Amino acid sequence: MSHVLAVLEQRDGALRKVSHEVVTGARRLADALGGEVHALVMGRGAVQGADASGRYGADKVITATNAGFGHYAPEGYARATSERAKAGGYGAVVFAASAQGKDLAPRVAAQLGVGLAADVTDVAVDGGKVTVTRPVYAGKALLRVKVNATPAVVSLRPNVFTPVERPKAGTGETVAIAGDAGRVVVKGIKASAGGSLDVAEAPIVVSGGRGLKEPANFKLLEELAQAFGGKAAVGASRAVVDAGWRPHGDQVGQTGKTVSPSLYVAVGISGAIQHLAGMRTAKVIVAINKDKDAPIFKVADYGIVGDLFDVVPKLTAEIKKLHG
Amino acid sequence: MKIAVCIKRVADSETRVKIAADGKSLDEAGVKFILNPYDEFAVEEALQRKEQAGSGEVVVIACGPQSAQETIRTALAMGADRGVLLEAAVPADGLTVARALAAELKDGGYDLILFGKMAIDDYNHQVGPMTAELLGLPCVTSVAHLDLADGKGAAEREVEGGMEEVEFPLPAVLTTDKGLNEPRYPALKGIMAAKKKPLETKPAALGTAGLEILAMTPPPERKAGRIVGEGAAAVPELIKVLREEAKVL
Amino acid sequence: MGEQGVGSGERFVPARHQPPLPLDRLILKPGAEGAGDHMELDVLFVGAGPAGLAGAIALARLAKQDGTELNIGVLEKAEALGEHSLSGAVVNPRALRELFPDLKDADFPFRRPVEKEAVYVLTAGGRIRLPTPPTMQNHGCYVASICEIVRWLGQQAEALGVNVFTGFPAAALLTDGNRVTGVRTAASGLGRDGQPLGSYMAPNDLSAKVTALSEGTRGLLTQAWLEWQQVGSENPQIFALGVKEIWETKRPLDRVIHTLGWPLPRDAFGGSFCYPLESNLIALGIVVGLDYGDAALDIHVLLQQLKGHALFRPYLEGGEMVEWGAKTIPEGGYYALPARRSGDGVVLLGDAAGFVDVPSLKGIHYAIQSGMYAARAMFPALKAGDVSATRLAEYDRLVNASYIASDLHRTRNMRLAFRDGFYSGGLKAGLMTVTGGRFPGGKIVMHQDADAERRVNGAEPFTPDGKLTFSKVDAVFKSGNTTRDTVPSHLVAVPDVPAAVARFYSHVCPAGVYEEVDGQLRINVPNCVDCKATDVLGPRWTPREGGSGPKYKRM
Repeated sequence: MSHVLAVLEQRDGALRKVSHEVVTGARRLADALGGEVHALVMGRGAVQGADASGRYGADKVITATNAGFGHYAPEGYARATSERAKAGGYGAVVFAASAQGKDLAPRVAAQLGVGLAADVTDVAVDGGKVTVTRPVYAGKALLRVKVNATPAVVSLRPNVFTPVERPKAGTGETVAIAGDAGRVVVKGIKASAGGSLDVAEAPIVVSGGRGLKEPANFKLLEELAQAFGGKAAVGASRAVVDAGWRPHGDQVGQTGKTVSPSLYVAVGISGAIQHLAGMRTAKVIVAINKDKDAPIFKVADYGIVGDLFDVVPKLTAEIKKLHG
Repeated sequence: MKIAVCIKRVADSETRVKIAADGKSLDEAGVKFILNPYDEFAVEEALQRKEQAGSGEVVVIACGPQSAQETIRTALAMGADRGVLLEAAVPADGLTVARALAAELKDGGYDLILFGKMAIDDYNHQVGPMTAELLGLPCVTSVAHLDLADGKGAAEREVEGGMEEVEFPLPAVLTTDKGLNEPRYPALKGIMAAKKKPLETKPAALGTAGLEILAMTPPPERKAGRIVGEGAAAVPELIKVLREEAKVL
Repeated sequence: MGEQGVGSGERFVPARHQPPLPLDRLILKPGAEGAGDHMELDVLFVGAGPAGLAGAIALARLAKQDGTELNIGVLEKAEALGEHSLSGAVVNPRALRELFPDLKDADFPFRRPVEKEAVYVLTAGGRIRLPTPPTMQNHGCYVASICEIVRWLGQQAEALGVNVFTGFPAAALLTDGNRVTGVRTAASGLGRDGQPLGSYMAPNDLSAKVTALSEGTRGLLTQAWLEWQQVGSENPQIFALGVKEIWETKRPLDRVIHTLGWPLPRDAFGGSFCYPLESNLIALGIVVGLDYGDAALDIHVLLQQLKGHALFRPYLEGGEMVEWGAKTIPEGGYYALPARRSGDGVVLLGDAAGFVDVPSLKGIHYAIQSGMYAARAMFPALKAGDVSATRLAEYDRLVNASYIASDLHRTRNMRLAFRDGFYSGGLKAGLMTVTGGRFPGGKIVMHQDADAERRVNGAEPFTPDGKLTFSKVDAVFKSGNTTRDTVPSHLVAVPDVPAAVARFYSHVCPAGVYEEVDGQLRINVPNCVDCKATDVLGPRWTPREGGSGPKYKRM
């Protein structure tokens, strides 16, 4: 019987949503190991929303505070986490493979003297040992790895462990962490220069091809992207970038960027292999094209056969309604 | 300025992945190996910092098979001064690599130790910060912008929604991200000079830190998609499936 | 109606729309500005193919045996060895055996010996098996990948201390009087408008006592030197374009196959090949002479059609195309060889010199052999401090006395016989074989490919299915081409190309570089896989920055 330590994240005193994914993953492991999930969040003081962790399966929620913590303090957080992990004799320690998690998890694993199974897309327990699945070679292969050490330190790829409600007590406690926050001092976060999201980072990408007929028509896609409320970027096929309609930074595929958004909408793009290679790891692909035989439909999860000049404005209007 | 750069030999990103007969690793037949692209930023940064300081040494260290010598030569051709190969089959476990590197780096008196933020083959993102822990040095990961002055450093690293600003003392371990600099291509003279630069090979016994590869498999086939309808009239249905079935809206 | 408005049913001559070789850019006099770095070598081989690498290996060995130190360099425009090399290939091992007398055939980078072979004439619906012509008998030869041969030769060369520089295309010859004194490499890091970007690297000058031009088919500097020094040949060099794919197949293949006939039109010379690298890994391609008459002929499309034939389809069904590529092949044979392949400070090797035997489809062993002869001529010349044309003419003497010359002489009219079409050509070729080359006696005159007239026709639409057949855009992806999209154009075209000629280019180029859009020629520069078909029939090819172009792995 082993408990699992779930390491959560906060920013500006509020719990980050990825934390629910961490609890969900930890809960899955704890159920298989026959133990509890103890959620740990670190910060300067109380963290708003931390108590919600009970809803996703945390038996206990521990807020560890230190005046020097801010939204992140690499050395202080690492020490606090590994000390708690050692003291609690946990069977597993789970992080998100977020920007912070990628920084923190290796430090903790090294301090605990164990390996780190990073950026995993699945966790299970097999013969009492934690086993994970992780993508390698840019998702071209999957590795199944068994973690023989204790605790098993694991980080979860974001947007994969969809939070599942598994209500548990979620009893809260607060502990003060002694000592200083460490030599590496996080001063703050500079918000991204306002405006366009990069196609490689945006959770939603709306891409256009030659079917748009002229550069000015990309306005339709810009409006669609805006309707998603700042979460979407406009991409372009190589054909239109070559023709000079869109800047090279927007190109998806074939020496342009490889994107992996949750939603990829291909508008007026036929689906040449080189474009497909750029967006093949998108979670959901939607294609809009007037040619029902266009190769893109073979790759898309959902498609609309029709004139994009009719479909896209209608889609924009409907998405706007959704986002209010 | 004395700088160490830890590099890795990786399969080119265009590699068509074929699984080897052992069911656990990449079939290397015909695979092109290169210097890990994120490590190029680290090598470039080291070269620039040494050039700015006016004097110093840039040492590149790789942990890998014999063939990693070629990768070290690439870094030497870019301008690094000498190389060290810790010869070992590359293991599953980042911590064991970190241990071997830490042992090699320990008494080197380095002002800076640089790594690429991750390797494009395993996406592990861990050897740099683990090595720092073992050396007891401050560490900042995924550095996209760097200022150094008076024994201190200020870095920017990308986080969700913005750039995190971090300060740290030297000596330190940094892992580098895209955008930090533009790596130089080796010049013809550099390629020739690289052959004469010292490259030491030491055997490294890596052991294990608990991670065991059970299997490598191809990714699941994407399920066949469907056309939800024709024309603008199909839009409401599309939104419905995106919300309820695909759960992306 | 003049050439300007070429319409359907009209004819045009491609040569009228081709710019001349830009000699002023290719031949640099002493003091020519623009180079960044300067390096001095004893011998420089331009092109790390079988000829260049074999030459470097042979030369390094001669130096070692003699206790002399020679600084030998090999320049290669591809990012890594083999990435721009493409061939069938079925290789005659004799040259490698001579170069490496201590090794056995099993040590060479061959895939498998040729056991069974078959030759067919195809029709749209069927095939007729022919007895294998004597010129094509491949027993004793090996199926191989030229990429693997080149990588292996590269290792041998580096082990001997040869400096192999990949990612450095040679863009011009350095000269002094009539002497070739070295080479200038291409600049890199230029933007689409030719302006230097942050990654700009200036050209390098490499000076060498002898420059060996082993550039392969339609070598740019080779052409420039021949024109500059007015070295002619009895017939102009002519070319075929080969388009090739490698397939991983579910059904094993145990024999080497060659075909003639369908889908080539009657006035086109060529055929197809299908070689098993492994029983489930096959190389399949089509080779067509570039003097065909129909302006709409598309060799890539012919290959796609070929795959649907009942002879090939069963092997490919359920399989996967893993690589695609294209390259031209010099087909002029004996009479197209330059009158001399040596000069002051320079020698010409391999395909660049035209050492290819068309009827047997062989060139690799000639390339290797020519490299060895070049080394044998260069070494004493270097020791004597005399690398003049007179001294280096020893290379020509060695080649002329060798099987390279006698082989090419025997088949000297074979390809040329087909100038008048398939059946009359077949008859003549048969007679040539039977008479050991003595028929028809005299030389058959050939013209340059670009001088052959083309008929404008509508092209038949071709719809790839994405499983067995592929569009050019998808094919280029499989060549491993990841040339950056902002690279400046390396293709030199005349202004105002008529629409019909633009359409012709779009069919000639297997990589989809050219398109005719609204009557204008549009050039998609990054697609180029350096096959050189464009240089033969259309806009001139010049090198891009190092590492551009395809990345062949096992072609």
